[in-house]
Amino acid sequence: MIYRLIAIAVLLVGSALLYWWWQSRQGRVRQVEVPGALTSAVLGDKRGLHATFVQFSTPMCAKCPPTAVILKRVASEQPHVAHIEIDAAERLDLARELGIMRTPTTLVLDSDGVVVARMDGAPSEHQAREALKTVPPPTDYAI
Amino acid sequence: MTEAKDIQIDPRGYRFGAAVTLAVAVVAIVLGANTAGVIAMIIQALLFLPGATVGPQKTLQSWIFRTTIRPRIGAPKETESFRPPRFAQQMGLGFSILAVVFGLLDVAAGFYIFTGFVVFASFLNSVFGFCLGCEIYLLTKRLTTRTA
Repeated sequence: MIYRLIAIAVLLVGSALLYWWWQSRQGRVRQVEVPGALTSAVLGDKRGLHATFVQFSTPMCAKCPPTAVILKRVASEQPHVAHIEIDAAERLDLARELGIMRTPTTLVLDSDGVVVARMDGAPSEHQAREALKTVPPPTDYAI
Repeated sequence: MTEAKDIQIDPRGYRFGAAVTLAVAVVAIVLGANTAGVIAMIIQALLFLPGATVGPQKTLQSWIFRTTIRPRIGAPKETESFRPPRFAQQMGLGFSILAVVFGLLDVAAGFYIFTGFVVFASFLNSVFGFCLGCEIYLLTKRLTTRTA
C-alpha cells in the first residue's frame, strides 16, 4: 500500500516535471536551413511576397485554432506577410518531408519560399514576431 | 474521420472530467492489481465509453459539470472543438481496457503500467490543461499511414 502511494507521488511529480520541460520548449524560434523552396502550388495556397507563416495543424489539436489567430494577427501587422494553415494529417507527405512531429508547428518562409525558421508547438505573440524578424529584409531589387 | 459538423464544448467541462478520471485511476492503483482495482478500472472504462464514441459532451462527468458546476461559475469565455478531447477519451478507453485485461490475466505489471498512463494523461489534462492526445495524434498518423 505504502509503495503504491509512493509510486503515485513519484508519477505525479515526474509528470509535472516532464510537462514543464515540454512547455518551456513550446513555440521556441529556431533558425533552420532547409534546402529548396516551397512553392505556392506545393503549399496549396498563395505565399506572401515578403514572408509566409506555414502552420501545420490537425483536427485533433486544441492549441491550433488560437495559434492561427495569433499568426494571422502578427502577419497582418506588416504588408506582404501571409498565413497558410495546412492539415498535417491530410498532407502527410509534407509533414514527413519537413519533419513535422507535433502540431501546431509553424515554418517561416522568406520571399523565395525558403524555410528560414520554425516554431514547434504553440508560439506566443512575441515569439511569432521574433520568428518573422529572422526573414531577411527585402532587397532593392525586389521593387 | 472528417465529419462535417463540429461541436464546440466548454473546455472546463472535460478538464473536470479528467479530474474525475485522475481520481478513479489513483484509487485503482491504491486498491492494487486485484478484483477491487480491476472493478475501478472497469468503471473508468465505462465512464470513457460515451466520450470516446459520441463525444465528451455526452459523458456522465460532463452532465455533472453542466448541472452542478457550470451554474456556479458561469458561461465559458471560450469554447473548443470536441474532437481533440474525444480522441483523448478514445486513448483513455484503450488504456483502461488494457489495464482491465492485464488485471484479469493477473499480470500486475501490465495493470499498473496502463493505469499509470491514465493517471499521467488525466493529471496533465486536469491540472495543466495539457492535451496529450493532441501531441501524439500526428505521430500515430505518421506511423500508421503509408505514403500515398
